[in-house]
Amino acid sequence: MPLLINQTVVTDEWVRLDADQLEANPELPEGKVIVPFTYFLANQDALAAREALGVCVNGDDDIVALREQQQRFAVIAIDFPVLRDGRGFSIARYLARDGFKGQIRAVGDVSRDRLGYMDSCGFTAYELPEDRFTPEDVAAFTEMSVNYQGSVADPRPIFRR
Amino acid sequence: MGESFMYQYNEVDQKLVDERVEQYRDQTRRFLAGELPEDEFLALRLMNGLYIQRQAPMLRVAIPYGLMSSLQLRKLAHIARTYDRGYGHITTRTNIQYNWPKLEEVPDILAELAEVQMHAIQTSGNCIRNTTTDPYSGVSANELEDPRPYCEIIRQWSTMHPEFAYLPRKFKIAVTGGPEDRAASQVHDIGLHLVKNEAGEIGFEVLVGGGLGRTPVVGKVVKSFLPKQHLLSYLDAILRVYNMNGRRDNKYKARIKILVNALGVEEFSRLVEEEWAFSRDGELTLTEAEIERSKSFFKPFDYDADAANDTTLDEKLAADKSFAAWYERNTVEHKQAGYRIVVLSLKPYLKAPGDITDAQMDLVADLADRYSFGEIRSTHDQNLVLADVKKSDLYALWQVADSADLARANVGTLTDMICCPGFDFCALANAKTLNIADQINEKFDDLDYLYDLGKINLNMSGCINACGHHHVGDIGILGVDKKGEDWYQITLGGSSKEDARLGKILGKAVAADQVADTLEKILAVYLEQRQEEESFADAYQRLGIEPFKERVYAAAH
Repeated sequence: MPLLINQTVVTDEWVRLDADQLEANPELPEGKVIVPFTYFLANQDALAAREALGVCVNGDDDIVALREQQQRFAVIAIDFPVLRDGRGFSIARYLARDGFKGQIRAVGDVSRDRLGYMDSCGFTAYELPEDRFTPEDVAAFTEMSVNYQGSVADPRPIFRR
Repeated sequence: MGESFMYQYNEVDQKLVDERVEQYRDQTRRFLAGELPEDEFLALRLMNGLYIQRQAPMLRVAIPYGLMSSLQLRKLAHIARTYDRGYGHITTRTNIQYNWPKLEEVPDILAELAEVQMHAIQTSGNCIRNTTTDPYSGVSANELEDPRPYCEIIRQWSTMHPEFAYLPRKFKIAVTGGPEDRAASQVHDIGLHLVKNEAGEIGFEVLVGGGLGRTPVVGKVVKSFLPKQHLLSYLDAILRVYNMNGRRDNKYKARIKILVNALGVEEFSRLVEEEWAFSRDGELTLTEAEIERSKSFFKPFDYDADAANDTTLDEKLAADKSFAAWYERNTVEHKQAGYRIVVLSLKPYLKAPGDITDAQMDLVADLADRYSFGEIRSTHDQNLVLADVKKSDLYALWQVADSADLARANVGTLTDMICCPGFDFCALANAKTLNIADQINEKFDDLDYLYDLGKINLNMSGCINACGHHHVGDIGILGVDKKGEDWYQITLGGSSKEDARLGKILGKAVAADQVADTLEKILAVYLEQRQEEESFADAYQRLGIEPFKERVYAAAH
């Protein structure tokens, strides 16, 4: 699954495990792992010694709890379970507003035509399904060069620029 | 665009619509090449106003807060002629719909629109839709302030908003500038009313959670006075609370009204205030310079002070009864002495309510240039307005409009109905509406009878989604499907004005061939029991539904 950072395909250093995988194989691998936020909440003591830890959330998770603990994580992956679920855009905005310095990664139903909006909302990494990605898709980040609202990179709306 | 006093795109505005056209052109290309899955293209095309309907695609073009120039209207006529079947349909969101475009030609249509500073952005989809307002903005005597500068500020903020493009459901905002509500603001997701506080400052009363559809609700006040510089930060807070908390498991329970009802308005307001604490006084705070810049586009026209001295109008009114009837019904008082607001009726005899042909569009553009500073407005009850016409020009204007079937003297009367396109065009509809509109027109063609009835709103929808606003008509008609037959449920006593309320169901639905006869019985009760100048709405409030119910259903036994 290609991972896009700074409009470039990069090697993913992280292993993302979902709840089913963790149930089937409860032993966490060494190194950089991304676990479901609910798993983190249930296993905080066991995970306390891990330096590099990422969590994956979606709109059904406790976002208040996530925001309280966000500095603990190097990566927060935000899951888009279906195309029409737009909560992930607001979750990214919350994290950026709260000063989260790690990677905000879009996972799930992520595709070319929403990359621009995701970028504006503060996402910094994108996992795209193999069959839905071509290198030309990075054009999506620049095809709209103007916006009215501002973005996480430049929060000034048009009338303050 | 010459001297017209409306918002003019700058380079950034133009670049945005130009880039949006190319973005959509590429999306269409990838869809047709099989590179973009159908469900994904669906969301993308809806956000550009393109539906797939019963007969063909349907393209809805935005007319921001119902205001357009003659140049823009001529472009809409050109599109109707070139890419469609020579007509368009004005909607209750003051937009225009084309019923027969080709999917592969839509990018070309959008490119043509961009040439005249128009677009189809967010006219559909689960995003913030076209903001609407009072069609008499800037020209009605009792408004506090012209709401259009704020509509334009909202238009820009909501256009291609990266965070709020995948909301739980569609989102509609209306703004009014004075005590009278001609924008149905209380049945919007957000209604904004310009008001003055005790200190004499102008701000907004904010209502949230109104709407029609399956669960009609009148909006509730979440803030009685919002200082105007906080407009965008407060909207941002409402939208974020909705985006995070609105239901996504059931699209019929996904509108913000359901969230507000489930939480209660106090808890909803608390969540908004909590969220607003982060953005209040932040970057979204409107600057005085930005408010003034927006206002500078909507300055009053250079009115002719001599217009008040006109004596020709009275002569014409005395000499021509048809003209006098039209003047009485289809023109409205203007704040400037010597001027009138003209409503061009798009409710001619036996034609689809709200439809307008390419030739009529061109003609209205000509009339606007000649008599009304080159501006045209579309209204939520599906008519057009020329807002600034000298009294001395009314007769000449009327003659031309009448020759083009745009001057039926029925504005505000029973046959000036709001009506969705119904089953003939819409894929969602359960029942036809256009045949019923014809039936009503045939039955109630007598103008003296219509005038005797006075002001009365008849609203008709072909399904429960309520695009024809049946819940808020004095008389509402809802088409329902019963075992493959069209039946019509009637409601009475609704209003979309400042006294907004939902109509009550009269009783069991009536058969398609009985609708006009049933209306006749309802109207007979009114005519028999009204007191002096009492309107239908007032008589209904006094009498209640019983006498109407008795008359309609007693006869059927």
